[in-house]
Amino acid sequence: MSHADPAARSDSASSHSADASVALGYEPSAGRGDGRIWIPKGGSHRVAGLSDTRKARLLSAVLDLKSEPGARLVLLGLEVDGLGPAERTALRARVAFLPAGGGLLSNLNAWENIVLPLGFHTPGRLRGGAGEVSDLLGGLGADPHALLPKLPERMSAYEKKLAGYVRILLEGPELVLIEDLFGGLDAAERAAAAGFLPTYRARCPGGTFVQLEGSPEA
Amino acid sequence: MIGVYREFEGCMRLMGHVLRRLRVLALPPVTESLTRQIYFTGASATAGIVLRGALLGTLIIAYVIDVLDANSALAVKILLWVVLREIGPLIAAVLVIQRSGTAVVTELALMQISGEVTSLRRMRIDPRDYLVVPRVVGVALSTAALTFYVQVIAVGGGMLLSAITIDASLGQLANDFFLLASPVDFAYSMVKSLLFGVAIAVICCYHGLHPPGVSINAVTQSTLLVMLLNVIFAYLVFGQAFFGLVTAKI
Repeated sequence: MSHADPAARSDSASSHSADASVALGYEPSAGRGDGRIWIPKGGSHRVAGLSDTRKARLLSAVLDLKSEPGARLVLLGLEVDGLGPAERTALRARVAFLPAGGGLLSNLNAWENIVLPLGFHTPGRLRGGAGEVSDLLGGLGADPHALLPKLPERMSAYEKKLAGYVRILLEGPELVLIEDLFGGLDAAERAAAAGFLPTYRARCPGGTFVQLEGSPEA
Repeated sequence: MIGVYREFEGCMRLMGHVLRRLRVLALPPVTESLTRQIYFTGASATAGIVLRGALLGTLIIAYVIDVLDANSALAVKILLWVVLREIGPLIAAVLVIQRSGTAVVTELALMQISGEVTSLRRMRIDPRDYLVVPRVVGVALSTAALTFYVQVIAVGGGMLLSAITIDASLGQLANDFFLLASPVDFAYSMVKSLLFGVAIAVICCYHGLHPPGVSINAVTQSTLLVMLLNVIFAYLVFGQAFFGLVTAKI
């Protein structure tokens, strides 16, 4: 796993000509004083030391595909600013984000939360989704029968992350951003969460796995 | 004034989105959400709402019969004009606001504040598709269904009461009622209650998705007041506009 500290990476960041090999490149506007983030395609990376504000700015740029004036965003080898609406929609479908809390909806149980994006984007896959979800949960050490009927309020922090992660895996994104993967987990849960990367690697061999971690004082 | 205009514009935009995106109801998660909304608004609340509606309708009939010293023909007219056309839809609308409207606005405001609406966007799901479309359609259909229940029970209760209090048999009252009533009356009240349901749901969803950020209670209460005024206004406008078109044969 490589460690991509934004401040440390700023000097060694790739030039614009290397865009095709970039999974995520973000250059904030000059006045911001933030370091560049330049992550190559493939592999696993950790972006550490992000303040909440910088993290929010980065996520807003990547997930809404809207960079600030003067900023530059490269995603999966594409300059976002030059893309049309249809290309942006297609590009956005290749990126997934797992927030620290799992990003679950409180009125849906784990199963409903997991298959929600499938129901919208590829409803045809719902029919065979149950077995796939059970396999993924089982592979990550969870009991599907116990977890799937649970509402988020009855889930542990790890179970929420797990449900959110399985939801992401079902869509097979080329770039996965995970916020604070090990935050709020005990030792056993951390060990289980360490299995997230191999599972992603098995499903998306060429994909890029990025962990976003806040600064210690944040 | 600008705030009022913005709210009105926001509600209109939301309404436009619902009309444009009705096809999302075919998607499994939205269908499920629609089913839940209909169950919550139109089914689980039926007993309480219908009972209250029927009591109110019957009380109105009893009061009017007493004050006007009504005979059989007047009692039937009251049942038709007041209960079937006006009180039924209005009672159903007010009860839907009281129960489902506040629930919708609170639920959506909580989802907005807790970041669940953002989560939906990050899953590339338009929150209006998943949260607003099924609620608007579900509340509209449920309001129409509740109106029908209230009408049946209130008219039935009114006939029973009339048969007891005035010199007319239940059979005679029923016969007069069905002679006077036309399918247009039923269609009129159904269309009106559907519009009430749409108005209630759109306003609730709009306020739920745009909480002031101070207090959920404030959102709920202000939304309730706005919706109540809106429904009363809509009731007057539609009643006035259609009254000339829907006249009794007597």
